[in-house]
Amino acid sequence: MTWIVQNLWLVPALPTVAAGIGALARRRNRVLAASLAIGSMSVSFLLSVVAFAHVLSLGNRGLATRQVVDFRWFQFGNQWLKLGWMLDPLTAVMLVMVTFVGLLIFIYSVGYMEHDENFTRFFCFLALFAGAMLGVVLSNSLLLLFMCWELVGLTSYLLIGFWYHKPEAAAAAKKAFIVTRIGDLGFFLGMAWLYAQSGTLLFYDNGAGCLEHAALAVLVVHVTAVGMAASTGIALLIFCGAAGKSGQVPLHVWLPDAMEGPTPVSALIHAATMVAAGVFLIARVYPLMSAHAGPGLGLTPTTALIVVTWVGAITAVFAALIAIAQYDIKRILAYSTISQLGYMMMGLGVGGVAVGMFHLITHAFFKSLLFLGAGSVIHGCNGEQDIRKMGGLRKFMPITFLAYAVGMLALCGFPLFFSGFWSKDAILHAASTWSVSRTPYYLGAFGALLTAFYMTRQVYYVFAGASRLDASTAASAHASSHATATPHESPAIMTIPLTILAAFAMLLGFVGTPAWPWFQSFLQDRGVALHLAAFSEPGLLPVMLSSSLIVLLGLALGWWFYGRKPIASAEAPDSFGRLQPHAFSILGHAFYVDALYRATLLRLNAAWSRICDWLDRWVWNGAVQTVSYTVLAFAWLDNLVDTKVVNAGFDEGCETVSRSGQVLALLQGGRVQSYLRMIGVALVALAVFLLWGATR
Amino acid sequence: MSTVNYAQLWQLALPQVIVVAAALIALAVDLLLLRMRPTHTRFTVAALLGSLGCVLAIVRLVLAPAQVNVLDGTLLANPLTHLVQVALLVLAIATLLMATNSRFTEHIGEFVLLILVATVGSMFLASSQDLLVIFISLELLSLSLYILTAFDKHRPHSSEAALKYFLFGGMSAAFLLFGFSLLYGLSNSTSLPRIADAIHASGATGSPLNPLLLIAIVTTVIGFGFKVAAFPFHFWAPDVYQGAPAPSAGFIASASKVASFFIFFQIMAVGFAGAEGSAAWMRFTTGWVPVLAVVAALSMVLGNLVAIVQRSVRRLLAYSAIAHAGYMLLAIASHTQQSLGALLYYVITYALATLGAFGVVAIVEHRTGGDRLSDFDGLSRRAPVLSGCMFIFLLSLAGIPPLAGFFGKFYLFVSVLGSGPGLLWLVVLAIAMSAVSLYYYLQVLKRIYVANPSEEVANASADATTIGTPILSQAVVVLLAAGVVLFGCAPHLLLHWIDAAIRTTGF
Repeated sequence: MTWIVQNLWLVPALPTVAAGIGALARRRNRVLAASLAIGSMSVSFLLSVVAFAHVLSLGNRGLATRQVVDFRWFQFGNQWLKLGWMLDPLTAVMLVMVTFVGLLIFIYSVGYMEHDENFTRFFCFLALFAGAMLGVVLSNSLLLLFMCWELVGLTSYLLIGFWYHKPEAAAAAKKAFIVTRIGDLGFFLGMAWLYAQSGTLLFYDNGAGCLEHAALAVLVVHVTAVGMAASTGIALLIFCGAAGKSGQVPLHVWLPDAMEGPTPVSALIHAATMVAAGVFLIARVYPLMSAHAGPGLGLTPTTALIVVTWVGAITAVFAALIAIAQYDIKRILAYSTISQLGYMMMGLGVGGVAVGMFHLITHAFFKSLLFLGAGSVIHGCNGEQDIRKMGGLRKFMPITFLAYAVGMLALCGFPLFFSGFWSKDAILHAASTWSVSRTPYYLGAFGALLTAFYMTRQVYYVFAGASRLDASTAASAHASSHATATPHESPAIMTIPLTILAAFAMLLGFVGTPAWPWFQSFLQDRGVALHLAAFSEPGLLPVMLSSSLIVLLGLALGWWFYGRKPIASAEAPDSFGRLQPHAFSILGHAFYVDALYRATLLRLNAAWSRICDWLDRWVWNGAVQTVSYTVLAFAWLDNLVDTKVVNAGFDEGCETVSRSGQVLALLQGGRVQSYLRMIGVALVALAVFLLWGATR
Repeated sequence: MSTVNYAQLWQLALPQVIVVAAALIALAVDLLLLRMRPTHTRFTVAALLGSLGCVLAIVRLVLAPAQVNVLDGTLLANPLTHLVQVALLVLAIATLLMATNSRFTEHIGEFVLLILVATVGSMFLASSQDLLVIFISLELLSLSLYILTAFDKHRPHSSEAALKYFLFGGMSAAFLLFGFSLLYGLSNSTSLPRIADAIHASGATGSPLNPLLLIAIVTTVIGFGFKVAAFPFHFWAPDVYQGAPAPSAGFIASASKVASFFIFFQIMAVGFAGAEGSAAWMRFTTGWVPVLAVVAALSMVLGNLVAIVQRSVRRLLAYSAIAHAGYMLLAIASHTQQSLGALLYYVITYALATLGAFGVVAIVEHRTGGDRLSDFDGLSRRAPVLSGCMFIFLLSLAGIPPLAGFFGKFYLFVSVLGSGPGLLWLVVLAIAMSAVSLYYYLQVLKRIYVANPSEEVANASADATTIGTPILSQAVVVLLAAGVVLFGCAPHLLLHWIDAAIRTTGF
């Protein structure tokens, strides 16, 4: 066990400690808070790189790449509850991605949040988030993972509601917290069930962990009441948690609203890392998801994976459709994120860990690039987020435009030179050969078309044509002092992270091409060699070709609708919306899912709350009041009896009672004679009691 | 008859001797050197001298562990008695230091002397298994306490309470002595183990107990029921708690309780072994356990219910003491090794909390001139530290986690249930009554934290602040509160010690 594995806990601990110190810092200690967060994140990044290199060298030497460190937390009964962390290729990749993207976004935030008076608090939350997210990534126990998972949810809540003085932000934070909590309920039940069945929550524990062969063999055989294997039930419950966190239909409603948070938060938490945690969770418990009863069934997908695939595919198309008709630059990206998360889930379902995770990693880079680009645009346009009021920004913000274009092409999956192409293509290829159904493949391909279309639309709206900013923001321009009439390029501290991310968005694809599937082999612990012949594998080239054509078609459609003639004014109706006004309106309202929830679930909940309130006020409270009055009555009764008993022995006391009415003074009587008489009475009473018992 | 080794006796009694010497030195210094000095100085010097003596005694007890039994239980020295004695000395120190800002008397040397003599009496009480020594130590303790109660000669209440206490105490001592003489007549011995042997020898299993033994049981219960203020022998307690000077009342409520409960357990569990009987619900059989069960049940009910209607904090504490005596009698009724540990833990932590509460009451009286509930209105704004301490003490008495009182109750009830299911009804009653007790403790806290101080109290306290805050008293109160929190959060600190002592000693 090497130093890096023993001390891997430092990676999440450092940002957490930074957050703790930041929480104690005063509001004016801005430099301290930012440098603590960025410094701790840099050290974590370096440690992650060391860990990554360690795993790499182990793999190259042909040793086992998974190493775990478990420790005892506390004892209950005669069992110890154990927690622990692990280092395996999955963890290593996620560690490097989270720390690297996180570091860049931290740096970017220094510029973006410069004018915010709660700068210190922001960095405290960011660092806490990073610590919790890294905890999720490296934990070797479902329980520890769940704890960090909840912490991540908490920081997400805090950061979405960072500008809590805006009612929408406060509401969005609450919504995000509650909706993800619904999924987490499933997660928690699954965890409890898993513990009840296997007696451990450690993933890997030298053969005794819950993801290892012995435990899985028990789980798949154990059949529950509805004829479902315990492993399937647990896997589906855990998937509920993942679906909530990763915004899968029908729990996706919180993610678009979460865009009320500051843009770096959207980039870090709601695009690159936290929402991907659901995908990561499925990848982590993949042995459980894919556990089969018999050895011969290795190739048929399990029920759990079929559910994951379908949910992912539906989400991918569903969210992409909605994205077409949105006007808020960040909401478009949010729906796009949901759609891409759907792809990842689908990739996990049809192609396994490597396929899903590859898209997760590439997506993390190009989507955070897009979000930071959007942030830069918003920053440059003095807080404007409506794409109808932008336009022509290519002239004013050349660096942002270039970076954004790279991100957009990567997201669309533009052939050959962009990472999105390779990762999305891996998913589509796996889907095309899926043994259950080919529908997910068609859904995925349709989603790719939509993705290219809505991104082209967005880029034309934002960057092409003439600026439509002046007229619309004239009102706010004189309200805010540093606002200028024309858009401006963002400072270097914001553009440099953009450039770095853009470079990665292009290059990262080449570590996972079919010819040199280094990434996939790394995750699966295999050696890798370059062999171009892989392209001639049956079915691969047609899929690549067709998806390239689909992307080009999407881009062309986008140009047809939005690029042919420049968008004249902010009030002009959407070109596509003119063609299909009804469909466009439904999409613009996101299929009315929110309204549906409001009309059904929320109304039900409100009614239930009223019933509970009524019960609480009248039934329970009544019962409690009755009990309390009864006790009080008993107290008075007892007091009264005491008074009578003490005073019964002497007339004087009774007379005094009737005279003064000072009950308490007389309760005690105050007369020694009566006290002493009581001893005698007690002696006789007790002696009689005993003698009576003795003769019985 | 074995011979007495006086040198050994001297060594065994050295802690007590040190305390007596300290008491005499304090008296001499006070009378000879400090006659003309201000009260505060005299009190501080005398209390510090007395405390020094107690500290030396503690050091002696801790450094010289011994397990000796002189003359068949006449004088014992073992880890258990040492533990109880150390607890008594600590409480005595706290009482002395808390008293330093009082101004109820000019006779400071005498006051300190009496506190220390009472401590010596309680120390001897804890270290004997012989009826004669027990009775003599009990009288030494009681007589000192009567005088301490009467010490405030400016207030007629004080003398009145002392007279009642004295008469009541004399009467119950007479009963106790009567019971002891019956026991001697039955067994021809004054040693508790011998008495138990005689009870075993006389009663073949199943045969009814000797009626004289039953009388002896009842009178012994009366004698100690008076010491621990259990119903219906509690009548002195409210008057004494209210009338006595605060330090005396605190000492009566804490140190005296610790020693009395310990020796009460010893007498019942060791001396009356073989005459237990049973207090199981609906299946009473004659013996001392059902007597204690009845007394305990009545004490819990009466103490808690009557405390609700009290308007004076001191009387409230008195009724709460009666209720707590009821809980602790449960431990005696179940008489197992575990319940002895639970009883010691409970009574020690209870003594800390009660003594602390009396410390707070003393300081508040000093400022507002009374102990009525209304005198505590809005205390939190005038004395946040004191209020915080009172908060801890009262919630510990009510048994709220994570304070010592909670763990004490928990452990006590568990140990009672551990001795068998027969006493379940008592435990259920005790838990129900603890819930009731929360009401009156919270009443006080509500006064402290929620109510607004009345005009005159606010003015009076404004004047009183010119007198200056009693730093030493306040420091002791804070230390006691810290102890309550510490023993609540880490009960094993005390519990390990108690358990180890009980294991090495037997009981």
